[in-house]
Amino acid sequence: MSDTSILPLLVLSLRVATTATLLSLPFGVGIGYTLARRRLRAKPLIQAVIALPMVLPPVAVGLGLLWLLGARGPLGGLWRATGIELVFSEAAAVLAAAVVGFPLLARACEQAFAEVDARYERVGRSLGFTPLRAFFEITLPLARRGIFYGTLLAFTRALGEFGATAVVAGIMPGRTETLALGIWSRIQLGDDALPLCIASFALALGSLLVAEIWLRRGDGGRERA
Amino acid sequence: MGLLALPAAADTLQVGAASSLREVGEALAQHFEASQAGAQVRVSYGASSLLAAQLRAGAPLDILLLADPRIAVELAEALGLPDATPFASNRLVVITRDAAIDLPDPQALRNPKIRRIAIPSPAVPVGRYARDWLERNDLLDALASRSVQTEHARATLMAVDHGHADAAIVYETDARIARNAVVALRIADADQPAIEYVALRGSPARAASLAEGWLHFILQPEAQAILQAAGVGAPRPRDDP
Repeated sequence: MSDTSILPLLVLSLRVATTATLLSLPFGVGIGYTLARRRLRAKPLIQAVIALPMVLPPVAVGLGLLWLLGARGPLGGLWRATGIELVFSEAAAVLAAAVVGFPLLARACEQAFAEVDARYERVGRSLGFTPLRAFFEITLPLARRGIFYGTLLAFTRALGEFGATAVVAGIMPGRTETLALGIWSRIQLGDDALPLCIASFALALGSLLVAEIWLRRGDGGRERA
Repeated sequence: MGLLALPAAADTLQVGAASSLREVGEALAQHFEASQAGAQVRVSYGASSLLAAQLRAGAPLDILLLADPRIAVELAEALGLPDATPFASNRLVVITRDAAIDLPDPQALRNPKIRRIAIPSPAVPVGRYARDWLERNDLLDALASRSVQTEHARATLMAVDHGHADAAIVYETDARIARNAVVALRIADADQPAIEYVALRGSPARAASLAEGWLHFILQPEAQAILQAAGVGAPRPRDDP
C-alpha cells in the first residue's frame, strides 16, 4: 500500500479542524447569545434545526452539503456563475467539519450566556456602555468558560469528523484525507491503521492538555482579581 | 493550496475510484498525467455505492471507476450518461485458513471441518457474486448454518487471515495480499461470474477531452500493466456472454 506518512495527515487534520472551529466561532457565539437573550417564538424550531447535524447520520449531512454546494442544487447557478467549485476540496472538508461541530458550539454558547445574569449588562448600559461594548466587556468574559468548552467540543468533533467529509470532500490522499479518513481507509483495506490511531489519540490528548493549561491560567487570573 | 476554492483548471480530471483500486489509483493517475502534458488528475476513493450517491447529488466527478457494473448501468440510465467501459476484471477464489483443508471442488465446502465460512454481505458486489456462485452450485442453503456475513471484501479476507473463519469467498486480488490464508480453490473459468470494473463518464460536459483521454488510456498496455501488477485481470472480450 502506497503509504503516505502520518505527518501530512496530522497537519491536514489540524488545519481543517482549526479553520472549521474558528469559522464557526462567531456564528456559534452570535446564535447562542441571541437564543439565550431573545424571546423568540421560533426558538424550539431554531434549536431543532441547529441540532440537525448532531441527529442525522454524518453521511446524510454530507449529502445535504453536496446538494448545497453542487451544480444540481439550489445554489447551482451561483457556483456556475462564479466558477467556484467547493466539492472535493479542502474547503469542503472544512465546511463539513464546521457543520458537524456547530451544534455543540451553539448549544454550549447558549447555555453559557443564559447563565450570565442579564442584570450585569443592564448595569453596564446604565453606566453608558453601548450594547456592543456591554457584550464584549461584560457578557462575553463572564460566559467565556462555557464558550471555551463549546469550542473544545466542536474542535474535537471536527478532528474526528469522517462521514460528511468523505461525501463532500472525497477521500483524496494528500488533499482531503484527514486522520479519521486515513484510519478508515486503512482498516477497509486491511492495512495497519495503528500508527494513525495513535496519532489521533495523541492529537486529542494534546488538545485537551492545552485546553486544560489555558483554563488553569484563566482561573489563576480570576482568583488574583 | 487546496484550501482555496479556486475553479478547477480546465485540464483537471476528477476521478472517483472504488476503494479496491486504491493501490493502483495513484500510479494510474501519474502515468496519465505524464502522457497528457499539463493535465492534472485528482482521485477520490470510496465504495462504488457512495460514488454513485455523490454523482447523483451533483458532485463534479468526471470519471467513475466502479467495481459494480450494475451501479454503472443504473447511473447511466438515471442520469442519461454514455454506457460504461469495462477496463478490468476480477475472479472469485475460495480461500482457507491454512493448507490443511483440501478443496478439490466446490462441493468439498460441505466438509464439516469447515466450521465457519465467511461470505460478504449482499450489499457489496463481491457478496452478490459469491452468493450467486454458491446458489449455482447448490451450496447456499447447505452452508447457511455455518456462514457468517462480513461487511465487505477486505473484511472477508481478514476474517480468514486472522483465523476467525475457516474459509471464505473473496476476489483473487484480495487473496494475493493474504498473510496466512491460502487459495484452496480456483473457481473454473466457466463457473466464474462476470466480475468487471467499469469506467463511467460522470458529467459529459466537463473536461470532455481529458475524460475521453482517460477512457482511452485505461485500455492501453501501460495502464493494463499497472492493473495486472496489482492482480486485476484484463477486461473480458466484449463478445463474452
